Amino acid sequence: MSHPQDLSLSEQAAAVASGELDAAELLDATFARIEERDAALNSVVVRFPDEARRMLSDAPQGPLHGVPVVVKDMFRLPWYAPTDGAPGEAAPAGESAVYRRLRDAGAVIVGIGQCHFWGAGSTGHVSAWGPCGNPWDPAHCAGGSSGGSAAAVGARLVAAAVGTDGGGSVRLPAAYCGVTGMKVTFGAIDTEGYTHGYADMGAIGPICRDAADARLFCGVLTGHALNRGDGGPLRVGVVRDPWWTNVDPEIERACDAAIDAAGWERVEVSLAGAEHQQAAALVCLTIQSLPMVRPEDLAEADAVLRALTKFELTMTPVIVYQAARVRSLLRRSVADAFTRCDMLAWPTVPAPAPPIENPTVELPSGRAPADPGNLRQTGIGNLTGMPGISVPVGLHSSGLPMALQLQGPWGEEARLFDAAEHLEEATGRKFVDADPFTAPARSST
Amino acid sequence: MRASLEALGYEVDETEIAIMKVADGVYGPQLRALVDADLTAAWPEPDLDPSRAPSARFPAGLE
Repeated sequence: MSHPQDLSLSEQAAAVASGELDAAELLDATFARIEERDAALNSVVVRFPDEARRMLSDAPQGPLHGVPVVVKDMFRLPWYAPTDGAPGEAAPAGESAVYRRLRDAGAVIVGIGQCHFWGAGSTGHVSAWGPCGNPWDPAHCAGGSSGGSAAAVGARLVAAAVGTDGGGSVRLPAAYCGVTGMKVTFGAIDTEGYTHGYADMGAIGPICRDAADARLFCGVLTGHALNRGDGGPLRVGVVRDPWWTNVDPEIERACDAAIDAAGWERVEVSLAGAEHQQAAALVCLTIQSLPMVRPEDLAEADAVLRALTKFELTMTPVIVYQAARVRSLLRRSVADAFTRCDMLAWPTVPAPAPPIENPTVELPSGRAPADPGNLRQTGIGNLTGMPGISVPVGLHSSGLPMALQLQGPWGEEARLFDAAEHLEEATGRKFVDADPFTAPARSST
Repeated sequence: MRASLEALGYEVDETEIAIMKVADGVYGPQLRALVDADLTAAWPEPDLDPSRAPSARFPAGLE
């Protein structure tokens, strides 16, 4: 057998269940791999050798019995107080709903995934834990805010990690790291014990190597099976403006080619309110999180984040009400679109992961900070509450991953997993099975 | 910007002002366009629940 962390999540679970793989050996091999590979990445920033062994010894015979996983630094654990990537505790230690789901499934939490400071960025280069590197090139960003979770899965430290997504924070790092990430419908995974559970923009989500694993992991986190259907005969809504504009041409071509390969019927769609969705997402994210920022927290923040937070404090009540109107307009537009198509599709990110030292991206309009373009691609999912999945669709000439985002009607996570699995099959699985540690692109760096 | 922040009790230094000017260059045009947009026909949902599709409970004539 190869290294057990080269097995998929479902393969690990099956091998442990059958006795082919000893769970204690899997756990030891996982810590050894984290030790071996993570020094260059900084993805698993806290490790739990003792607690993991205790979880394993108490683990029930659930669907993930003895399988190691990582959780983002935003969940309460009985032995760990989450930090949101900032100094100090964001919440006390305790049992989160995610912890209980994992424990009851027999999973073993081996560590905490790095998180962008306060979860307030899409690059992961700012964090009290330090920046997180991309498995495909450690000098580039893993993404954020669930960068540690995505990098840990991409580097094959674990086969599954939990992320959270208030403005794209599961889908964006998944895209940067070449893995599969799902933001579920708002509320589909219980947010108790999630540090941003106060907001109606945020949802929790699985990050895995492929859609089958993400389906399995999502089923554990939601508490119900997401049965497999046929992802072939689907109609995909293509909204050219704004989501296919000002995108790196290679990414645009890769996403177009992926839709062609899947053979889905294309439906051209426009969404009323789309021109204001990026601003509305920024306003809604800001307004919900600002009351949680204490002056002493602001004093400890990174200088840029501190200034941006103060910039956000100058927003007026009028814009809050305008954003609420856009949000409802978009929700109605999207609901109407889903009467004509089964899902919406556009690139998850407009450009590949930027360098940690200079987190800006090259777009057709010129060089720009990564955050605004990323929020533009994903914010509507949080405004509307609809589920979305990021699926790898190729490697950029820079050697970094590219990804397509599929979004579906509320509660239709299974449909998105069907579509993602169909897409993987249609492209010969070459993008989800690519290993950054053996791929020629990374070997040459 | 400095005056409004100081009125809220937040001190702000020159570095922060410089960063805020950059942020205003990036986000400001969209935020101002949102403020200026005519959204009088786009009523917010009275029962917004992001876990489900919007209900049909909008004022007559605005659907």
